[in-house]
Order: sequence, then structure tokens, then C-alpha cells
Amino acid sequence: MSVRLFRSPATVVFILFLLGLSLSAWNIGRDAWLLFEPAGHYDPKRVLLVYSTFPRFMTALLVGAALALSGVMLQQSLRNPLASPTTLGTSAGANLSLVLSLLFFPSSQGFGRDTIAIAGAAVSACLVFAIGSRKGASPLSFILSGLMIGLWCSALSAVFVLMNDRYLSGLFIWGAGSLALQGWTVPFSLLPKIIACVVVAGLMVRPMSLMELGDAGALSVGLSVRKVRVLAIAVAVILSAFVTSAVGIIGFVGLVAPAIARLAGARRFAQQLVWSPLIGAGLLLVTDETVKLLSAAFGAFLPTGSMTALFGAPVVLMLLARLRTESRRPPNLGQGATRSWHVPRFMPALFLLTLAIGVVAAILIGRAPTGQWEILPFAEWQSILPYRWPRVVAALSAAMMLGASGVILQRLTGNEMASPELLGISAGATAGVALALFTVASAGFAVQLVFAAFGALAVLVMVLLLGLRSGFSPERVLLAGVVLTALLDALIGFLAAGGDPRAMMLIGWMSGSTSRVDQASALFALACAIVFAALVYPAGRWLTLLPLGREVSHAVGIKVPVARASLLVLSALMTAAATLIVGPLSFVGLVGPHIARELGLRGALSQMIGGAMAAGLLMLIADWLGRMIAFPYQMPAGLMAVLLGAPVLVSILMKNAENGQRRWLR
Amino acid sequence: MPQDLRFSRRLLMTLALTMPWSISRPAQADEGGIVSLDYGLASTMLMLGVTPAAVVARADWQQWVVDPPMPESVADLGTATEINLEVLARLKPSLILSTPFLAASRSQLETIAPVREVDIYGGGREALPASIVATRDLGKLLRRESQATAFLAHAEANFADCNRRIAELSAPPVALVTLMDERHVRIYGGSGLYQGTLDRLGVKNAWQAETNFWGFQTITIEQLISLPENTHLMIFEPLTPPDILQRLDDSPLWHELPFARAGRVSVLPGVLMFGMVREAIRFAELLTDRLEQLA
Repeated sequence: MSVRLFRSPATVVFILFLLGLSLSAWNIGRDAWLLFEPAGHYDPKRVLLVYSTFPRFMTALLVGAALALSGVMLQQSLRNPLASPTTLGTSAGANLSLVLSLLFFPSSQGFGRDTIAIAGAAVSACLVFAIGSRKGASPLSFILSGLMIGLWCSALSAVFVLMNDRYLSGLFIWGAGSLALQGWTVPFSLLPKIIACVVVAGLMVRPMSLMELGDAGALSVGLSVRKVRVLAIAVAVILSAFVTSAVGIIGFVGLVAPAIARLAGARRFAQQLVWSPLIGAGLLLVTDETVKLLSAAFGAFLPTGSMTALFGAPVVLMLLARLRTESRRPPNLGQGATRSWHVPRFMPALFLLTLAIGVVAAILIGRAPTGQWEILPFAEWQSILPYRWPRVVAALSAAMMLGASGVILQRLTGNEMASPELLGISAGATAGVALALFTVASAGFAVQLVFAAFGALAVLVMVLLLGLRSGFSPERVLLAGVVLTALLDALIGFLAAGGDPRAMMLIGWMSGSTSRVDQASALFALACAIVFAALVYPAGRWLTLLPLGREVSHAVGIKVPVARASLLVLSALMTAAATLIVGPLSFVGLVGPHIARELGLRGALSQMIGGAMAAGLLMLIADWLGRMIAFPYQMPAGLMAVLLGAPVLVSILMKNAENGQRRWLR
Repeated sequence: MPQDLRFSRRLLMTLALTMPWSISRPAQADEGGIVSLDYGLASTMLMLGVTPAAVVARADWQQWVVDPPMPESVADLGTATEINLEVLARLKPSLILSTPFLAASRSQLETIAPVREVDIYGGGREALPASIVATRDLGKLLRRESQATAFLAHAEANFADCNRRIAELSAPPVALVTLMDERHVRIYGGSGLYQGTLDRLGVKNAWQAETNFWGFQTITIEQLISLPENTHLMIFEPLTPPDILQRLDDSPLWHELPFARAGRVSVLPGVLMFGMVREAIRFAELLTDRLEQLA
């Protein structure tokens, strides 16, 4: 509705700057006159004005512009309206590199923080690029691979943070993006770097505009699509890395500013390139001045980066409604797996046997309090097993549900990067736990579980409502989940930056721990897994037929929306049950289906069974390793699963990618 | 009969050989030790003359608590967010001391041993008076009432001594901070342990603005400019990264802050923020010594 008001980008920029400037005038107030007083005597207010207020003002403008420019370059070169420095996982990569350097080379922080952050961002960007660029670099596959790399980097950072929370607490502030400054160093060092990037971007206007013709079209007018794309992404990543290393992670500006420019009528790339940075600068100025106003009013520490997420997320949700749903070809049923041998009959039995051995081994092999390896002596069974078997059983059951859920989502969307974590249900459950921690004094596990269930349920309803509007278009459901997850991350970042001890509890919950599972919840998990296994069985037919297209499905008498909705609900319920028991974060729902396909299990039902079992086995190993690796310290199973699963996934994807990538990089 | 006797003697011998603990520590095998899931409670136990059977994050004790030293024999239970229940169960403790912060694990802990939650930092109450009450309660619980009384008397005498020494100095107001990075600090006050100790010593806290539930606030460095002119800034160790003071030195605003202009900045050894009476004594002594050096 309000969109129509903004007839042209210039109007938007004018309004934003008017608002931003009046807010800063309000914040500065009468202190401005101090500038005209003689400089002789010491006045703290004047010092603040000169060394804090004005540099912060300049930095907000510069950072906003740089992030927006980065966003517009990424969005154009990837032909993806949802690309941005944060969604591509580069910020998480920079964060990980800072964590590692702080822990292992603390003194190197002094001279090379920029370099360290930029190196981390570059490495993760290369990975995202390599994985996401297969098969014509579809927007969603880039976003999802960015998200996965981001998750992996965050998981590894989280492991170190959980083990060294007191030492690394300063990094939370960096992660939440604060614009507080005490001098002109930051804006003055950013300015030339940003100008250089702007110049390069300006030189690329023509070739990048041609990319709108599509890869084939651009090629036919003699453009090296590959070179332009690589250069554009490099500029974008470097820009965001400069900013990130200077002030921390400030999300959503790079995503939202170009979108607003387009909504306001900047159709051509050249227009977007001019207007987006101006809009970004205005946006961040308004946000930052609001942050100053709010923190003065409440006396609380509000990092600007968390606030941009809060303002930006609704805008992105609005954009989702306008995003065109692409027609998809059927998923690569014949493609992908390199092996094509017939699946032997004994495969399921072999899988079951492996799982059974795994369960027994995970329960019996462990370490004594002294740290020595042992097979649990019979005498200790009664006292130790009640704390061990529930974890093993819960990890296995939850992971199998996630694996099955992953197969459903991947086949339904035709996108092999889809995974249950992205449904937003995990974010909902975590938000529920956060609410419990903050409203109920000393919330016990049962209370947390109830709140988590409500959170998951609330998101489930939202997902369904959103689905109703879009005819259950799976892409949109997944992207909404991505936004919810980002919003939640911002909330936790805000809490952690303020030093709230409850943030550590939330981070612990998000890391996917089995340590709070007791015998009752383990049995509940097992029961859920069995019930859903029975429900999944009849869904196999739908999953085989739906990807063949609406017409085919219709011809054999399937009502497409009903089938889609049922499958989504089934997958959401399985995710919710698993999340309640072992927390939200794990790669297993994503990796399980891939391992199954790699083993040659390509029918819907057989992939589902194989995917569930592979996921279960992976989680079993992850949970066991998490308990053993740093004994008596325990690593959350979810984090271990991410660390184990991601390399497996990447190697499978890269192997299958070789052909596709060559085609794309012509 | 003789055969039975021989058999049972052999059995006893076997038992004795396989389970040496049943002979060397007959009493404790039944009784079990006391486990603390909180650093402050563990240091209070040590002061009452009870060595905990295990604590969480034993490995980091030396870095964050320093004093009193934790005996080598004490077992490590892992991090507080993921307590190693297997290690805990095998210790067969008789009592687990916990805090409301760990309420989510309580039902599991109770299957191992009775849990006693001690609430010091939960309800936004004053940390030092709450710690003193908790120490007395702990003395009753552990049947160390006389030790608790003696320890608290020692604490009071210590505070009084520091108070007297400081009164002679006409000490400046102090601001207590931990540097988070070169742009942000955590500043202490409110209901926290440091504030309670400052009150006992008769030292004025320069930071009178709001703090959170736990008695600290994250602020940006330029907010320190609002502190009174004669404030002395006390920075707690550890300094992360180690070169952070040099980097502050590059900041022009830092040099404009009143305490930096006058050179009234010192670095204090770290004291456990979520501590109890022992940590308050340690902080009182460190602060008094430093203020005397400065005078």
C-alpha cells in the first residue's frame, strides 16, 4: 500500500535522509552550538560530538552505502533478488576466522583484523560459489548453499564459543554489529576502499547490464559472463568484508536497499547501482539514529546490526510475496548419483544391521571418569545406562525423522539443498525456549519443552497460511523459514552482545544437544519415529508422482494442493518432533537424502528409508563423538553432525557437479 | 562350614582386589562426596574446609577463579551447559549444589543425588548480602557451622580492615570495567558482587547508571565520559586480545576521557564476577592494595 507513495527512488532517498537528519538533529540537540565555541577549554560534550557522534554518522552512511552496493552487485550477477552478503555466508566465514585467530593467534589480531576477516569471508565465498554454481546457478541453490556454508561456519564458531564463552564474549558484540566509534579512523580508512570499489562497479555497468539478457543472451553479444560474474562477486564480497571487519556484521541492508530501489521504480541496472547505495545509506542512518534514541531511553545496549535485522526481515517477507515462482523441471531422477547399479536386495538388511551394531557400540563403548577407554562394565550398567541409552535412542530417532523429512522436502521442491532446518520450525521452537527463559523464573526442561512445542506450532501454522496463499509453493515456504531463522539469530545476537547469561543457554539449545534427554523423552522420540514411519509409507506414491508435474499428477487422480499440503505438514511435524528432542541444528536432514541417493536408492520410498537410516547413523556417530572427543567435556551432537555432515555433503555435491559446473563456466 | 568360610574369604579377597576403594575409603564409599555446579559455591565449600568431589569446568578454574586453588583430585564435570551426567553418576555423590541458572537440568540431577539450589544471582538481589546468607546456610547444610561463622567473621574483619585503610587515603570514585573490544566495555555496579564490596569498603562507584539483572551493563567507551572528573578506571584482566591497551591508545577519544587525560587508569587481576564471599574478599584486597599504591 505504502509502496505507491514512493513514486521514484529520489523521493525515497529524500524521505529517508530527511528522517535520518531530523533524528540526528534531535539526538544532537543543543550540543551542536558547542562546535562554534572557542576550542580552548575542555568540554566532554564537544569531545563526544567530534570523536563519536560525527564519525558514527559518517560511518552509518558509508557502511549503508557499501552494503547496498555489495547487495546490488550480488543480486545482479546472480540474477537473484535475495542475494546479499549475509545470506551468502561470507559474514559467518569472517566470524569463524576471527574466532580462530583470537583463540590460536591472539597477538595477530593487532595488526591484521581486517585481513583475517577478509580472508575468512573470501574462503567461504569461494566455497559457496563452488557449490551453488552448479546447474545454471539457480537463485535458490545459491542462497541455500550460502546458508549451508554459513551454518557450517557458525557451527564451528559455536563449538569454540561454547568451550570458551568467557574469553570470546567480545565477539558477540562484533557479531551483532555495533556502529559505536571513538575516532575518525574507521570512516577515513573505509572511504578510500569504498571509493575504489565504487569505481570498479561503475566500470562494470555495461557488461553487468547485459547480464539481464540471461547467460545465453549475454554470450551472444560477446560477453564473457563468467569473468564479469566472478569480478562482480569479488567486488561485492570485498566490499562487505571491508565493512564487516571494521564494524561487525550488519545484516539485511544489502538485501533490502536494492529491493526498495527496484520497488520505487529503478528498473535498469545502472539506476539501481546509483539509487541502492543512497537508499542503503539513508536506511542505516535512520536505523542507527533510532538505535541511539532507544538506547538513550532504555539505558540498554542495542547493537545496530540486530536492529537492521528486525527492520529488514518484514521487508523481505513482503518481497517473498512478490517473488515469481519459477517453474521447475522434475528433479534429477536419473542424474546425480554416479553409480547406477541395481540396488541389492540385502541393502535394507545391511543398513539395519549397521544401525543395530552402531546403537550397541554407542551405548557400550565409552570412557571412564579417568578418561580411559572402556567397554562399560556390567556392574555400572544400572547407574550409567539410564544417562546413556536415552541419548543414543533419541539422537537416532530424531535424526531418522529429519532424514525422512529431508527426502520429502528435496523431492517436493526439486531442490537438493532443501532441508528441514529451513522450514523455520526450528527457529520457532528456539524462540519458544527463549520466551520460556525470559518469562518463567528458573524454567525447567518440561517448561522449555512446552514453550518450544508452542513455538514450533505457531511457525507451522504460519507456514501453512503462507502456503495456502502460494498454493504450497515449497520455495516460498523455505525462504520464509530462512528469514525467520535470520530474525532469530539477530535476537540471540542482541542478547549475547549484552552479556546476558541466558544467551548461552539459548546457544546451547540451538547447538542441538542430547544431554537433557531423559528416558521418557527418548521413548517419546522413538514412538514418534515409529508412528511417522507408518505415515510416511503411503506418502511414497505422491512423492514419486508429484515431481512429474501437475498434469501427470492430475491424470492419475492426485489433488496437487492437498498432496503438497499433506507432505509439507508431515515433514513439518517430523521436524518439530525431532527439534523438540535434540534441538534445531543439524545437517542430517540435508545429508541423509544425498547419501541415500549416492548409494543408488532413487525411488521415493527407498530413498526415504535410506535417507532416514543414513541420517540416523550420522547422528549416532555425531552424538558419540560429541561425548567422547573432549571427555569429560561434551560437544553438542548437532554441532558435531554439522561438522561431520558438511564435508560429506560437499564432496558428494562437488563430485556430481563436475559436469554441471563446466557447462555453467563456459 | 569351613568350605563356606573359605569361599567367602576368597570372595572377600577378590572383592578387595577388584574394588580397592571399598577398603581404602570405606566411609566415603557410602557417603559420597558433594558436587558443586557453580564456581562461587565451590570456592565457598573450600573455605568451609570441604573439598568438592567434582566441579563444572574444572579445567578453567585456575584462569577465572585463581584463588582459592582447587585441589588436583577434584573431578571435572564439563561445561555447565552440558554437564557430564555419566561422570557425575559414577561419583555417586550425596549432594549436588546447583543454581537456578541450571534449572533445566534439575530433574536429571535429582535422579543422581538430592539437589540444593542456591539462589544468589537469580532474583536481582544484592549479591554480597545474599552470598553471606548462603554461606551460613551452606555451613548448616554441610555441618560446618563453626567454620562458616569463622569464615564470615574473617570476611567482616577483612572488609573492616580494608575500609580503615581506604578511609586514610580519601580514595577517588572508581569505575570497574572489562574491555570487550576496543569500542565496548562491561561496567559493573547495581546489585553485583563488586558493588556490594565497594559499599563495604566505603569506595564510591563512579558508575551510578542502570545495570542489568546481574549487576553489569555493556556500554560503548564514549559513555565513560559521563563519569565524574576524578574517577579512577580499573580494568579487569584478562585483556583480550592481549594488545587491546595499545589499540585504545590509538583512539583519540580515549585520550580525551577525563581519567585517561589524568592517567588514572589501572589494570587489576581478574576476580570471578559471579562469585561469593571469597571472591569479594579477594576483590577487596586487590582494590585496597592498588588504591594504596596509587595514593
